Amino acid sequence: MGDFDFDVIARSLPYLWKGMEYTLILTLTAMAGGIFFGTLLAIAKLSSIPPLSIAATAYVNLMRSTPLVLVIFWFYFLVPLLAQAITGSEQPVPVGPDQTALISFTLFEIAYYCEIIRAGIQSIPTGQVSAGKALGFTYFQQMLYVVLPQAFRNMLPVLLTQSIVLFQDTSLVYVISATDFLGAASKVAQRDSRLVEMYSFVAVIYFLISFTLSQFVKRLQLKFSIVR
Amino acid sequence: MITLDGISKWYGKFQVLSNCTTQVTKGEVVVVCGPSGSGKSTLIKCINGLEPFQKGDISVDGISVNQAKTNLPKLRSRVGMVFQHFELFPHLSVIDNLTIAPIKVLKRSREEAIQKAMLLLARVGLESQAKKFPGQLSGGQQQRVAIARALAMDPIVMLFDEPTSALDPEMVSEVLDVMVELAEEGMTMMVVTHEMGFAKKVAHRVIFMDQGQIVEDRNKTEFFGSPQSERAQQFLSKILHS
Repeated sequence: MGDFDFDVIARSLPYLWKGMEYTLILTLTAMAGGIFFGTLLAIAKLSSIPPLSIAATAYVNLMRSTPLVLVIFWFYFLVPLLAQAITGSEQPVPVGPDQTALISFTLFEIAYYCEIIRAGIQSIPTGQVSAGKALGFTYFQQMLYVVLPQAFRNMLPVLLTQSIVLFQDTSLVYVISATDFLGAASKVAQRDSRLVEMYSFVAVIYFLISFTLSQFVKRLQLKFSIVR
Repeated sequence: MITLDGISKWYGKFQVLSNCTTQVTKGEVVVVCGPSGSGKSTLIKCINGLEPFQKGDISVDGISVNQAKTNLPKLRSRVGMVFQHFELFPHLSVIDNLTIAPIKVLKRSREEAIQKAMLLLARVGLESQAKKFPGQLSGGQQQRVAIARALAMDPIVMLFDEPTSALDPEMVSEVLDVMVELAEEGMTMMVVTHEMGFAKKVAHRVIFMDQGQIVEDRNKTEFFGSPQSERAQQFLSKILHS
């Protein structure tokens, strides 16, 4: 082990932590935005109003058929040009890697959460819907008080699993040089020529967090299943 | 109170209801019976607009069900319905099942809704189960909660769609007892059921359906005394001798 210098990790911990903070912010933002807008999109997709369901379906299909890296690139390179065209400014309006990542991840995850939530909504038996209607609930009351509470309970494990995948995927922001956990480690690794130490450390941390979370999801699954 | 005028309904080319006409007056108890697949459940679900129909008109307390301008949620909030498979909300406790619609739809205060719900639970003999969840109750108990849930909305009429057919035999009577009591108090009721004992006891009129048509629609004594159609005679002899 003479050639390894694990001290580099201790030395750069504050910097790495800043990277981890950004990773967590990015994950939680994309998760919250994805679930909130994904729910609205799922409702739109299932709606009986054709323009609404067609638009929602098109969006989901587009996002799900495109690599995430590409969405990030598009956003990073095209939105500045778009903003330039709209505002009429002389130069492209820079958006910055952090904002780009937050927005493009949210837009991308919305499509995936939407599909999970759509399946969850459709898993609720029609008898429950009839019972809600018969009590005089409007469509939105019905969703809010009868369908969604049951649907979310059913899909909680899948939603959390998707979020763990999202947590790992956020490392992709290195392509636009945003400093997330992996990005921070990578910068330290290059600066100090300690690639093996830093990437091993990053891998262990990602594994520990993801594995712990998925064990937690497993236990939650048992606890939350509805007694019928 | 309820008038059905020439109701016809098709699933694609298959006609499930053809030209059904009848009415239920205030305080009347009408039992709908007939072999399975005769369209009786479909007919009763047309009354509060849970099933759309293509021809004819239904009005409930003077309000037409199938006109675009009709406020269906409002109409439904005045019509109680009890389902074959109970359809209690499994994620809510018994008391919440009874109070959610009065609070959210009728805008009653929580206290008022709870007070009323506890009275209704006492009435169906389940006040001690208020905090439990539907999954913890027996089928008969669940169906009694479902009746109480419908009553919590102060309905002008109660619709029952085979309320005892999903129950174990020993639980049928506890549900029928509640229904008999309700009928004796003068509630307007339309009941799809095979329980001829119930029909004999409290029904004013019996409707017999076969292949989507109303074959007989007569008062109870006449129906059980001398059913006119051969189809009804066969049905009755089978069901009463079993």
